[in-house]
Amino acid sequence: MGDDIMSYNGGVALAMKGKECVAIACDKRYGVQNRTIATNFTKIFQYGDHCFVALCGLATDVQTVSERLKFRTNLYELREQRKLKPIVLYNMLTNLLYERRFGPYFVYALVAGLDPKTGETFVYDSDNIGAISDNVNLATVGTASDFIFGLGELFFKPNMNPDELFEATSQALLNGVDRDSASGWGAIVYVIEKDKITLRELKGRQD
Amino acid sequence: MDILNPMTYDAEEDRLRERTKYSQMDKHLIPMEFQQQPVSTGTTIVAVEYDGGVIIGADTRTSSGTFVMNRFTDKLTPLTDRIFCLRSGSAADTQAIAQVVQYQLDFLSAEMNEPPLVRIAANCVRRLIYQYRDDFVAGMIVAGWDKKLGGQVYSCPLGGLLVRQPVTLGGSGSTYIWGYLDNNYRPNMTKQECFDFVLKGITLAITRDGSSGGCARLAIINKDGVERVDVLGNDLPKVFDL
Repeated sequence: MGDDIMSYNGGVALAMKGKECVAIACDKRYGVQNRTIATNFTKIFQYGDHCFVALCGLATDVQTVSERLKFRTNLYELREQRKLKPIVLYNMLTNLLYERRFGPYFVYALVAGLDPKTGETFVYDSDNIGAISDNVNLATVGTASDFIFGLGELFFKPNMNPDELFEATSQALLNGVDRDSASGWGAIVYVIEKDKITLRELKGRQD
Repeated sequence: MDILNPMTYDAEEDRLRERTKYSQMDKHLIPMEFQQQPVSTGTTIVAVEYDGGVIIGADTRTSSGTFVMNRFTDKLTPLTDRIFCLRSGSAADTQAIAQVVQYQLDFLSAEMNEPPLVRIAANCVRRLIYQYRDDFVAGMIVAGWDKKLGGQVYSCPLGGLLVRQPVTLGGSGSTYIWGYLDNNYRPNMTKQECFDFVLKGITLAITRDGSSGGCARLAIINKDGVERVDVLGNDLPKVFDL
């Protein structure tokens, strides 16, 4: 694995848009270079009814960034007395990361969310110093992101319904991680719709 | 103190090695696409003797850094009809060694007019590894059957050692299953017990080691020939779900 800090623990996440629904998925591996320590380390965190963040990279920073972000979103909801919107969450996250511009956290981030009233979908990604992206159809982060991007572009169609979206997301993730030794060992997929959120656990190759 | 690899220092050799290494600037000048890591069969290989032959097995992953180059590699390389070698370490080095030894044994069997002994094959492998011990990264297991001593397993690890063992492991994944071997191996197991032992060992290593993965390829070598068994992902034995 070399001494690349971003592949020290491994891991991958993917987010894709559908018609009034978004899917966000990640693998479950926690390892230290070659060795797999656990297969229940999910990288997706929920910050509101319909706002999800996936963080991939160094595991300690995944935990720290998710907790620090939770602190800020809790205070936001207490002060503003209203629920978080995905764009607000995204800006808070990128601000958090840019604060450490010259000694950064080693995580790449994905934000996925939905506006339950209008059905508008949001998928954003960010590098480890908080670069802002547009609202995109498909985003991936992690050690296998290149492989999953290719498959994701292949399976993506505009305006998919939740079932098609789930299929496309899971196939892109499961087949992409087969080419990466630092991710895999199962996956979870959240499909977020206006009225419900479905969490599915996938059992992939355990190698 | 490592008796097998004693510390030596040669100033001229050291300077030569320094010059051939990349300079710090190369990291910036050479584009990312060309900065590949060498291909290695970071791997799990197992070989065990039973009465009448040997059972050998390996996983099927070849990786370059974290990228999996081949998901279904064949690491069981025939040296002769009844002698196989299991390769771990640098893919290029072990393939080159296997090719050279294949030729050497082919020539030898023509000279002697009989199939070569397993010990001879293992010694050919060992000789190459020892001769180029500073350059090669190759840990190999040579296993097979011959008329004189039946089934034999020889281990030829990194420095150029040759030792016969009733059961041996190799590769990066082997570290995770030495305990399994110590607990579960008994002398004089039947052919089926040995087969299950090898398969379970490879499965356990595949689960834990990032550089091992894919499926399990096994072979049973005895006087009647070589029977190859590929156990695909779904058919691997169930192990505790971490």
